[in-house]
Amino acid sequence: MIKVLIVDDAAFMRMAIRKVLEKNNFEVVGEAENGEVGLEKYKQCSPDIVTMDITMPEMSGIEALKEICKHDSNAKVVMVSAMGQESLVREAILNGAKSFIVKPYKEDHIVQTLNSIAAAG
Amino acid sequence: MSADNTMESLLDMFIFETSQNLEQLEKLIIDNEKSSEFTDEAINEIFRIMHTIKGSAAMMMFGDVSSVAHSVEDLFYFIREHSEDHIDCNGVYDLVLESIDFIGDKLDKIKAGSNEEDDVTAITSKISAFLTKLKEKHQGVSQDATNNDTNKIAADKDDFSDGIASQDAGGNRFKVHVLFEEGCQMESIRAFDLVNKIAAFSTNLSCVPNDIMDNDNSVAFIREHGFDVYFNTEKSYDEVNTFFENTMFLRKVDIEEQKENELANNVSKAEVEAEASIVEPSKKQIDVAENVSSSDMHNQAATIINVHVAKLDKLMDLVGEMVISEAMVVQNPDLQGLDLENFKKAARQLHKITTELQDTVMSIRMVPLADIFQKMHRIVRDMGKKLDKEVRLEIIGEETEVDKNIIKHLSDPLVHLMRNSIDHGIEDKEDRAAKNKPQVGTVTLEAKNAGNDVLVIIKDDGKGLDKNKILEKAKKNGILKKEVSEMSDKEIFNLILLPGFSTNDNITEYSGRGVGMDIVVKNIEEVGGSVSVESIEDAGTTITIKIPLTLAIIDGMNIRVGKSTYTLPTISIKESFRPKKEDIVTDFYGNEMIMVRGQCYAVMRLYEIFNVDPDITDLTEGIFIMIEIDDKRACIFADELIGQQDVVVKALSNYIKDVHKIHGVSGCTLLGDGSISLILDPGWFLSRQ
Repeated sequence: MIKVLIVDDAAFMRMAIRKVLEKNNFEVVGEAENGEVGLEKYKQCSPDIVTMDITMPEMSGIEALKEICKHDSNAKVVMVSAMGQESLVREAILNGAKSFIVKPYKEDHIVQTLNSIAAAG
Repeated sequence: MSADNTMESLLDMFIFETSQNLEQLEKLIIDNEKSSEFTDEAINEIFRIMHTIKGSAAMMMFGDVSSVAHSVEDLFYFIREHSEDHIDCNGVYDLVLESIDFIGDKLDKIKAGSNEEDDVTAITSKISAFLTKLKEKHQGVSQDATNNDTNKIAADKDDFSDGIASQDAGGNRFKVHVLFEEGCQMESIRAFDLVNKIAAFSTNLSCVPNDIMDNDNSVAFIREHGFDVYFNTEKSYDEVNTFFENTMFLRKVDIEEQKENELANNVSKAEVEAEASIVEPSKKQIDVAENVSSSDMHNQAATIINVHVAKLDKLMDLVGEMVISEAMVVQNPDLQGLDLENFKKAARQLHKITTELQDTVMSIRMVPLADIFQKMHRIVRDMGKKLDKEVRLEIIGEETEVDKNIIKHLSDPLVHLMRNSIDHGIEDKEDRAAKNKPQVGTVTLEAKNAGNDVLVIIKDDGKGLDKNKILEKAKKNGILKKEVSEMSDKEIFNLILLPGFSTNDNITEYSGRGVGMDIVVKNIEEVGGSVSVESIEDAGTTITIKIPLTLAIIDGMNIRVGKSTYTLPTISIKESFRPKKEDIVTDFYGNEMIMVRGQCYAVMRLYEIFNVDPDITDLTEGIFIMIEIDDKRACIFADELIGQQDVVVKALSNYIKDVHKIHGVSGCTLLGDGSISLILDPGWFLSRQ
């Protein structure tokens, strides 16, 4: 099973993503409510994929992405963004994000994105 | 787990988290308003909260909530980017608070099961009009903004310079036309992502349209017509094909391997366009996310868990059942007359543990009053503004805790009392000046523990209550029961608590509305509390609410009438006694009265009130129980006292409460022998006099 770490400051979003993933045979190995905790959890449970919200307190998603990539250059981070955050998503891609999901997302978008990222080896 | 279940728990989470966010936001605004300027942290925090609400609401398909949150987010985006500008903070506060109210109302509707989408144009257009004004003002301030942006374009487009600049193109030349899947969103970024990935294995890269990031129209163009990429690579056609096959969200891909002679044309054309293209927008936007700082709240999350109230209610119920079962075992009729020393020892140990368990469960259900106290800031703010009065709210003892269920009943009365204090208590600025009072009026909201009760005190330094006006009004409404000369000040003031009394000459938007203090009293009495009023002319009014710490388990006195058992809260019992014949008198109308230490009280025969068959009708044979709440006393007549016991309060079903309108009974409980006892409501007996 593909191991996923969910980083999002909104408990609602974490729950929503977790439900989609668990239904589609992903294993959610951890949740974090900001970038800092996300980085810690990444080191702890070395997930295959991270879903990373962008706007978060303490440490933003972009910062956390940079830190995670510094720690593990093969890290697979998928940004979770909202409409209007185009430039941030672009910045994330330049900094190593493998792909992105746009909120409000469709279930199969997440599944498709994560599966293809995982398959890309 | 079924799909319905999933949605439900998501909905619960959405409502829970969004309400929390709204509360935090409101507090942020009220706190900020005092300093009349936005701190960077506050701006970031407001932006972040609105962003979260927008995202969650969009997921739950609450389009109206999402678009209101989006408007506020946009507004704060601008404020954050142009924090150097002077911004009309008051206008912003009003807009945000209005939005909070809208979303809060909407949450209530959602909770009530409504799915209707509300019209939000009124509020969103207000926000966007405000934003437009800000933008116009801003353009007046900084003319050189455009210049800066052009410089940025030149500097930032280095990202693809490797690909574009290197003219020593090797390998095969490809032209690829792609169409993205419908509804995949952010097509421009997907194109950008694609270009970025191709750049990793290609040279001489260019694309059409090339202004994929900057031009809003390019998103629509790409969505409709697709997107062309030109590049040179060492990879074969098949390899390139595989790359695109593995790329997500592509509806259609046309790969063309180009011949040398076509090449020159395309490259030059594409390159010219590329000059002004693939550009990062303002760098500022990117810095945004890095700046986001926040509250410390999130760090504490690890040691605190959220538990659904229903689970706590269930736990409380179970502990209640256990208390009853304990009584059933210890007071079991089979044990009567037996000498069981070891059993009693064990029973005492059991009792110790159940009591401790009770206390612990109770303490879990306790919540500080801080939440509802903090909400009063908003009331004070709104009313002060509307009525043009300067009012300061002082909060004392907000850490005082009461049972979760009581909080629910306390909120509305507090709002009402607060509004009364500001509307009718605190004087106009001119009047205060004339009376040599400080210009800013003070309303104090205080909570403290007093034995098994919590006192909540609302005190203002306003003009106080007008005794004559109260008496006049009471007389007019026919609620005066005593001679005026016999009444103490306190009794006069407490007249305002009676049903059918309302001193509001002019019903304002805030207080009054034809609803009087009696509604407040009713609410408080529902949870076994009481209200009292004190006032001093020109010094202010103090209203004290007394509420029990908890509702679930009370210390009760069981009494018997015939075959029925009743329970009175021990705390309301002043004494019990058997009267002498000469103490019983009958008044002019034939009403029975009883003299106790020179005071006369009406006799209330329980069997008459509840229409049951008693064993004893002779007043000197049975027992009197004197109950007392706030100086009001009454004497209840019953057959005998059974004994004192902790009883678990079970609510009466709505059918009994509403349809049959049973009075004088606040609930019921199970006794040790398994029989049912009705819990009497002392307040009702006292008001019956």
